[in-house]
Amino acid sequence: MENNISPITLEIMGNLILSVAEEMGVTLVKTAYSTNIKERKDASTAVFDMKGRMIAQAEHVPMHLGSMLSVVTEVLKKFPISSIKEGDMFITNDPYTGGGTHLPDITMVEPVFYNGEITAFVANIAHHSDIGGKVPGSTSSDANSIFQEGIRIPLVKICKNGSIVNETMEFILNNTRTPEERKGDLYAQISCNKAGTKRMRDVINKYGKYKFSTYTDGLINYAENLMRMGIKKLPDGEYSFEDYLDDDGVELNKPVPIKVNIIIENNRAIVDFTGTSPQVKGPLNLVLSGTLTTVFYCFKALAGQSIFSNEGIYRAIEVVAPDNSIVNCSPPAPVGVRIDAAQRIADVVFGALAKAAPDRVIAACNSSVTSAIFSGVNPETDKYFVYLETIAGGSGAHKNNDGLSGVQVHMTNTSNLPIEALEREYPIMVESYNFAPDSGGPGLYRGGLGLKRQFRMLGDNLLFTGLGERHVFSPWGIAGGKNGSSGSFWLKRANSEIKKLNSKISDIELDKEDQITIFTPGAGGYGNPLFRDVEKVFQDVKEGKVSVASARDDYGVILTDDVKEVDSEATTRVRDERCS
Amino acid sequence: MRYMVGVDVGGTFTDITMIDSVTGNVNNHKLPSTPEDPSIAIMKGIEELLALHNVPNDQVTYLAHGTTVATNAIIERKGAKTALIVTKGFKDLLEIGRQTRPSLYDLFKEKPEPVISGDIRYEVEERLYANGSVRTPINKDQLKEIVTDIKRRGITSIAVCFLFSFKNIMHEKIALEEIGRLYPSAYVSASHEIVPEFREYPRLSTTVMNAYLGPVMKKYMENFRSSVKKSNIPVEPYITQSNGGIISIQESVINPIKTALSGPAAGVVAASYIAELTKYNNLITFDMGGTSADFSLIENGNPKISMEREIEGFPARVPMLDIHTYGAGGGSIAWLDDGGALKVGPESAGAIPGPVAYGRGGTLPTVTDANVVLGRLNPNGILNGKMDLDVNASKKAIKEHICDKTNLSLIEAASGILSVVNANMARGVRLISVEKGYSPSEFALVSFGGGGGLHCGSLAKELNISTVIVPPSPGTFSSMGLLVTDIKSDYVRTELLEPKEQNLNVIIEHFKEMMLEGTTLLEAENIEEDKRNFICTIDIRFKGQNYELSVPIHINELNNRDIDFIVERFHVAHEKTYGYSNKLAKVEFVNYRLTACGNLPKVPLNKGNKGEGEIVISKSKREVYFSEVEEPGYYETDIFQRSELVTGDKINGPAIVDQLDSTILILPNQQAIVDPYQNLIIKVNGEVKPDGKQY
Repeated sequence: MENNISPITLEIMGNLILSVAEEMGVTLVKTAYSTNIKERKDASTAVFDMKGRMIAQAEHVPMHLGSMLSVVTEVLKKFPISSIKEGDMFITNDPYTGGGTHLPDITMVEPVFYNGEITAFVANIAHHSDIGGKVPGSTSSDANSIFQEGIRIPLVKICKNGSIVNETMEFILNNTRTPEERKGDLYAQISCNKAGTKRMRDVINKYGKYKFSTYTDGLINYAENLMRMGIKKLPDGEYSFEDYLDDDGVELNKPVPIKVNIIIENNRAIVDFTGTSPQVKGPLNLVLSGTLTTVFYCFKALAGQSIFSNEGIYRAIEVVAPDNSIVNCSPPAPVGVRIDAAQRIADVVFGALAKAAPDRVIAACNSSVTSAIFSGVNPETDKYFVYLETIAGGSGAHKNNDGLSGVQVHMTNTSNLPIEALEREYPIMVESYNFAPDSGGPGLYRGGLGLKRQFRMLGDNLLFTGLGERHVFSPWGIAGGKNGSSGSFWLKRANSEIKKLNSKISDIELDKEDQITIFTPGAGGYGNPLFRDVEKVFQDVKEGKVSVASARDDYGVILTDDVKEVDSEATTRVRDERCS
Repeated sequence: MRYMVGVDVGGTFTDITMIDSVTGNVNNHKLPSTPEDPSIAIMKGIEELLALHNVPNDQVTYLAHGTTVATNAIIERKGAKTALIVTKGFKDLLEIGRQTRPSLYDLFKEKPEPVISGDIRYEVEERLYANGSVRTPINKDQLKEIVTDIKRRGITSIAVCFLFSFKNIMHEKIALEEIGRLYPSAYVSASHEIVPEFREYPRLSTTVMNAYLGPVMKKYMENFRSSVKKSNIPVEPYITQSNGGIISIQESVINPIKTALSGPAAGVVAASYIAELTKYNNLITFDMGGTSADFSLIENGNPKISMEREIEGFPARVPMLDIHTYGAGGGSIAWLDDGGALKVGPESAGAIPGPVAYGRGGTLPTVTDANVVLGRLNPNGILNGKMDLDVNASKKAIKEHICDKTNLSLIEAASGILSVVNANMARGVRLISVEKGYSPSEFALVSFGGGGGLHCGSLAKELNISTVIVPPSPGTFSSMGLLVTDIKSDYVRTELLEPKEQNLNVIIEHFKEMMLEGTTLLEAENIEEDKRNFICTIDIRFKGQNYELSVPIHINELNNRDIDFIVERFHVAHEKTYGYSNKLAKVEFVNYRLTACGNLPKVPLNKGNKGEGEIVISKSKREVYFSEVEEPGYYETDIFQRSELVTGDKINGPAIVDQLDSTILILPNQQAIVDPYQNLIIKVNGEVKPDGKQY
């Protein structure tokens, strides 16, 4: 710790600045209009220093962790600092110039003036539910260029002298299917920054400009130190791993490799994606900031969740992402569904680090954002509807315990829509929402289970679009644990056989009583399943999480014919045989 | 009515307060809790307190107690073995919940294990459409098999929750009948009875916890009631609920979930009584103990209610006082993290090993140790000298764990610990105020709990709060709350309706039904008609949104067809809460709520002696370090005994007021006065101005 930095002020000022970001988040969520921001909290807020370095961020979804990292420096690149006036506010959504990682995420930045000088910046990012493009919601599974994904807002002013620039506002609103809702959300983003600048002025006033800037440097160093301490706990060495996306949504049945080589060298890490697929035709590409975001998520999870999300944590990690690859794409590559690629990056980073420290990571997760989108006309109301549900899956097992079942993992954490809410709104009935038996990878600790969700149509002429991943490449286990099951989509028409569907499929026509069944992927196990506590295996069988056959074949646990007891003798015999 | 007794059971201590309703005199008593059977300490304490003041047992006319039985049963997983019967296809819903993971970055964070494991969750064939009509009739043969199996396995409690049962109770009714016929001794909770509300997961979770707690609560209450009888105390005891009201034992056995977060509720109720007496109607309550601090907000004398609280990670859809707990207490441990910042908490040394100064084996420096080092706690011991403080041990711990690793001096480190914990608590207050649209500076702070007094002055300063109220017995304030509360019972119905004239009759019908239920309850509780009071609210939302706001209504508004007023009130509430409202958007009524209140008489508190209204002179002084002022340093500080202060006495800071269960710090430039109810009113920014309202 530097001599001029007091551990007390560091702690108090750090928490104070973080609380500014958090209160900005509260203002944004509170004043937002759309359910996406208000309820799913798909928005994040941050405070930057005068040089444009992020000091503190309050992120609600990990996908936003690094999304705003370069936005203030982009502002300063385009607008000389002397030209920026009090009351100016900037807006952008262009992933190719610092504005988030896909077009629906709109970022706004405002300078904080103190005694007539810029002393800090505040910014926020929010996911808008429609920003134009070829499909409602802007995120299409088969877009082949960013121009199909909505309006690209360059870095421009949304406010001047404290008033909204109407030309900018109108231009945006004219390019969305839901202008009223957008307007409400954009206003919320403006109020959020205004609340942030006001509180930041109080903070700077409390400490004075000099002390403030000393401690913002201190806070960045502080986060860097914590991150480096975390990396230092990993054994030095070179670790690599490779996994695949099933396909890119456009070129079906063509696996997309994601490869990483991680070098841990004392207290720094180099994360190199050389060998990863070139950018793809479908919308699974990540701009560099999206890749950085994901890598930082992984290291934050490893090094300590309480570390400030600021510039400092990024200094300890060097990311190498080849140009024009799926992890560093160039325009006009489409990026709408980039989160599925991000999920796979998280898995490969943990996969590589499992070789360094298997007790610090978890096995592969369902690592997809399985989405089911139904649309059509509700016969009861005669109104057109779009209903989107993201369905969770398994989370990887680890050194302490089984993986979590039926949860969102890594880069996302959105909740489900209550069944009693959706059935009232849409002509759809949910017939089952349970764990999928045997979907958790066998292990000393079992991988989390995927879900089985079954929909039945109660109206005619409805459309189903499914976005799935890990339907081909199942989630792997670590430390001797086995793979979890992959996911799948199934169609059962009222009078015909059940049929398997592709992992990315658009506009399947459905009629009354047709059923769509979705199995989401489970997750990998940890450790040798033959060492799993027999009672735990038996309990899993009793709960329907593991079948009698899997108990026997994967775990070497033999049950009596009536399935009421464990056949201890046979179990010991089988386990001994297989272990030797 | 002569003697009213309130008992608050905490993890460490059981506090008892008795009011003589003739004289208004208040007496308190404190003894160690008996967690294995809390009623042991309760009865022992009551007997002791009565004997101490020569009150014959049969003179007790009122007995209320807050119980942690339900809370502990959930935390310690000691509820009854419970089975669940659900709609076919949904046996795992209880475990899936909202399908979110509990921590964004902690890969190893566990999700709370459901209280009913997968092997005793039964699915039965039955299904209703969203409008309540039957798609698949309930399979009674299957139901019989299930109930028979549950009975065979010796499971004593059953929860029943079917989809859309809030819309049509028929299938759940059939299940109840079948259970009643085949297994009459089982404790049963059906979701339409516990929370007949929209949204399956919270309803399921609440119902399951209720069934899980039922048999435990029943057993405890039977014990307690018979102990009361044995002691010749001729009353039916009341139980505190999480909504701050009390209820009879019978009701608490039917709805134990309603008591599950009642622990800190009584203190908030006591604070709202203070609000009524002192006319400080807007209060922030601050209850600081050994491991945590509880905060809540009282607006216009009414504590805020929340429907969204969780118990150990499980949603419970019953109205509860909106109390936020923060991991900051006297036992919170100070430490340096790897990056070199000074942290305080959330780890706590608790009661055992406790702060280093207590000499019970604690070795890590705590907030209490910092207070000891700075001279804020009496170095000769606390609890009237019953407990010694080892000042040197506190110094050594702070030196070793903080100073030696930094360039901080002992005093800097000790006052740094207090600055950090106060800043943390200020953040806790901002959560319940600023983030909900309130400005803390418009509230007074009521400080209680063992640790509140040492921190309230600094905390108020930090938050620009100008007045702090410290009640006469901060350490037993909660049990006081049990003597000034009312009987309360909450009811709810769900029906999603547009606010249209033609829907009014349906809505009125819902309220009538609930009012009938409430009236029946209040009659059973022997509440006379003129003491009955019904509070009605409707949860309203914009159509398409998935959250509601509770809007108070008057039943006459429905009878008078004044539906527009109600909608207008929703717009106003939305504007206040969310910063906007859209009058063109369609709104929707979702839940109809009714709280039946039985107003109980309140005893006026004894106003005590009145002094001269002058600055009092202390009998002793000591050096205390203050960093909260412009010029940090040691100040000669007056020491007072709370028991010697009378109404009108004024104290100039820096000063310390010692009392049995608390130490109150008045900072330099702050002034305090004793009000007619023996509250110490601290003026944070200096002089107490004569206030016509109060004197």
